[in-house]
Amino acid sequence: MKVGLFIPCYINAIYPEVGVASYKLLKAVGMDVDYPLDQTCCGQPMANAGFEKESYAMAMRMEELFKAYDYVVGPSASCVAFVKEYHPGILKEGNHVCSNAGKIYDICEFLHDVVKPASLSAEFPHKVSIHNSCHGVRELNLSSPSERNIPYYNKLRNLLALVKGIEIFEPKRIDECCGFGGMFSIEEPEVSVCMAQDKVADHISTGAEYITGADSSCLMHMQGVIERENLPIKTIHIVQILATGL
Amino acid sequence: MGSREEILGNIRKNTLFSFEKPSYEIDSIKYEDKLQAFCDMLKVAGGQPVFMSPDDDLDKLISRLYPDAKRIASNLPDVKCAVYNPDEIENSRELKNTDLSVVSGAFGVAENGAVWIPLNVKYKALYFISESLVILLDKREIVHTMHEAYKRISGERYGYGLFMSGPSKTADIEQALVFGAHGPMSVSVVLY
Amino acid sequence: MSTRHSTAAARFLKDREQEKWHDETLWLVRAKRDKMSRSLPEWETLRNLAASIKLYSNSHLADLLEQFEKNAAGNGAIVHWAKDAEEYNRIVYDLLKERNIKRLAKSKSMLAEECGMNSYLMERGIDVVETDLGERILQLMHLKPSHIVLPAIHIKRQQVGEMMEREMGTEKGNFDPTYLTHAARKNLREIFLNSDAAMTGVNFAVASTGEIVVCTNEGNADMGTSFPKLHIAAFGLEKIVPDLEALGVFTRLLARSGTGQPITSYTSHYRSPQNGGEFHIIIVDNGRSEILKNREHIRILNCIRCGECMNTCPVYRRSGGYSYTYFIPGPIGINLSMLKNPKLYSDNLSACSLCLSCSNVCPVKVDLGEQIYRWRQQLDGLGQANPVKKQISMGLKYLMDRPKVFNTALKFAPLANQMPRFVLYNKLNAWGKGRELPHFAKKSFNELWKNNQVK
Repeated sequence: MKVGLFIPCYINAIYPEVGVASYKLLKAVGMDVDYPLDQTCCGQPMANAGFEKESYAMAMRMEELFKAYDYVVGPSASCVAFVKEYHPGILKEGNHVCSNAGKIYDICEFLHDVVKPASLSAEFPHKVSIHNSCHGVRELNLSSPSERNIPYYNKLRNLLALVKGIEIFEPKRIDECCGFGGMFSIEEPEVSVCMAQDKVADHISTGAEYITGADSSCLMHMQGVIERENLPIKTIHIVQILATGL
Repeated sequence: MGSREEILGNIRKNTLFSFEKPSYEIDSIKYEDKLQAFCDMLKVAGGQPVFMSPDDDLDKLISRLYPDAKRIASNLPDVKCAVYNPDEIENSRELKNTDLSVVSGAFGVAENGAVWIPLNVKYKALYFISESLVILLDKREIVHTMHEAYKRISGERYGYGLFMSGPSKTADIEQALVFGAHGPMSVSVVLY
Repeated sequence: MSTRHSTAAARFLKDREQEKWHDETLWLVRAKRDKMSRSLPEWETLRNLAASIKLYSNSHLADLLEQFEKNAAGNGAIVHWAKDAEEYNRIVYDLLKERNIKRLAKSKSMLAEECGMNSYLMERGIDVVETDLGERILQLMHLKPSHIVLPAIHIKRQQVGEMMEREMGTEKGNFDPTYLTHAARKNLREIFLNSDAAMTGVNFAVASTGEIVVCTNEGNADMGTSFPKLHIAAFGLEKIVPDLEALGVFTRLLARSGTGQPITSYTSHYRSPQNGGEFHIIIVDNGRSEILKNREHIRILNCIRCGECMNTCPVYRRSGGYSYTYFIPGPIGINLSMLKNPKLYSDNLSACSLCLSCSNVCPVKVDLGEQIYRWRQQLDGLGQANPVKKQISMGLKYLMDRPKVFNTALKFAPLANQMPRFVLYNKLNAWGKGRELPHFAKKSFNELWKNNQVK
């Protein structure tokens, strides 16, 4: 199975270590992984701000880059969800049928649903609080949305359970938004900051040392508040935990 | 009739889709003990379920429940403690200052503690104006859900009817729950 | 790049204690709703069914309304049609004037709010008295509702107490909600007994029987209609449901969603005028029939006004109802305002982080968040796009469409990490309000890969 690694723009620029961990992890579970060079952005920032049609070239470029792969896998639930849910509509304008939508996975989803590893070599003797991010939960079904009356499940928790020494927690408001929302964070800065402060406080109240999740964007947002207020918790992308020891 | 035609015309012109009417069949909750569920939900709604055995005396039961009630209204012949028949007054405003009304309900709904009362008194004000309300209900007449409830009243003729679940309530001041916003402060359902 | 919403929200957030109370209180309502929804194994099926019934009825509106009219007339009610707010207000006023009625006991109606009925009538000498406690409090305080189900959620007990001391002579300094509620009960009871007409909203209008259904907890609609000879009820035309069995679905969802109760205290069915009385029903369009042709937004007509999208919205809870420029706030309000007048109300579109909680909580499955996303796409075409936001988006696009330029930019980006704080954190940097900026990596992932450093 040929896997094309999808590294969204801000992970490329700010969190390359998340990309590295993703690569190692996929490799370790036996995937034939490749990174098609010179990726940029999926177009979500412009689209959420109201300029969806400006994302056409980016969506088209992603189609080209990942043409040769069986799967597209990325460590960012929100970007993956955007490709899956919105690229088909965007590309329809140019009469192009989106092929990525059918084969793109968030890395947690991919590991959990496709690879299904029985064990991992990872070890992380720490308390972590899972950040169930909006698009991961409500677009990619990474965990049961708290609004719905369906049995509880959490793919992130299941994967973390394979890690030795880890203690897993979830915040009281289990999947409330951290207030990032792309351009929302600067268009509504006061509300956005308040949401992030509340969210970080909720994570801290679990007693966790780390906030972990499938979206670096949410983690980046909360990290901004943690650093500003010098709060006693750290952020770490879930793949960095799953790839420890690799 | 100008606006009527205009509105209907606009609707017909603008309707783009036609969706089928869905089947109402739904696999809805069935309580092991409907009566128990009804009592539990009635309590959640702030009401009080009271069981009456065949040997009990209704008047004694009522005076035990509402010992301070003096002006008691009822049009039910079995309620001897009633001091007046609300159907015999000329104007609904005369119901003012009634301490307790005793009325009968048709059936209860287990999932929410509501009782269906199709207008069975002269003035519907009676259900709301007294400080307390007693509803007499045959304990065999409990349905599981609102689906059953509406199936049951479909085809019935009533000018007015209501599902009543517990006493009047409000939380409009800082979300603090208060009974007796406008209607009865207390509602007891006497199950016989 | 602020909007009228973000500016007002910032004002609301200045009082963090009040904000926290507002957020936590509404979250508690959401938690009660969750408990209720989980008490029914069929909850999700019920939501699907409710949505299908609404899609059916909203695509057969004309037939159902005609059926309703015929049956209502058969019951002895008089049906009126109002194409807009002006006509609705005039119908109500004429009914009152012809009968020389001076006082109207009114129960809660968002439609009356939408049409500005109170001020229309009051300017013409009618004493309109709101009878829902929350609405009455606001009326006496000369304020507007900040939530459609919990209208006075933004008001503190002290404010209520002080107002009631002034208006109803309650004890000075007694702010106990039970005391105040019962004082209002006494006060409003005289209104109920001495009004010449009552007006109610409508939660559901049943086509097959011609009856209307009103749901309240307080019993104010029923008290109001119990004494006067005239009852006027009005509904926006999407309130129609085909038959009583459909109500089985909606009455199970409405209160569980809105307030976390299994049902409201009173679910009252009005078919015929009371003995010797008159029953008038006004069917109001006021722009609703136009929504039908809006393919992408037609599901908004599913809404049963439970208000739960407000309780779950992380932005609404932290910004309050007054931060929105439309009389209905929250996710449903954003959407309704855009359908009403996109140019006038586009400021509300910023009040959404696209978390999609509203779409998942909605009992009739309105895709509220997705529709907000779609409205944003139309802003530029309407000439309402924020120029700064547009500039940022175009700048990003320029960069992202050119991988070489992007990669070069990433090479220089780490320089930003070294910039002095006053350069980075200034008025222009909205991110810097309360958050540190992320730090660019020395080498991007692309660079690492190219250099064979990813192993």
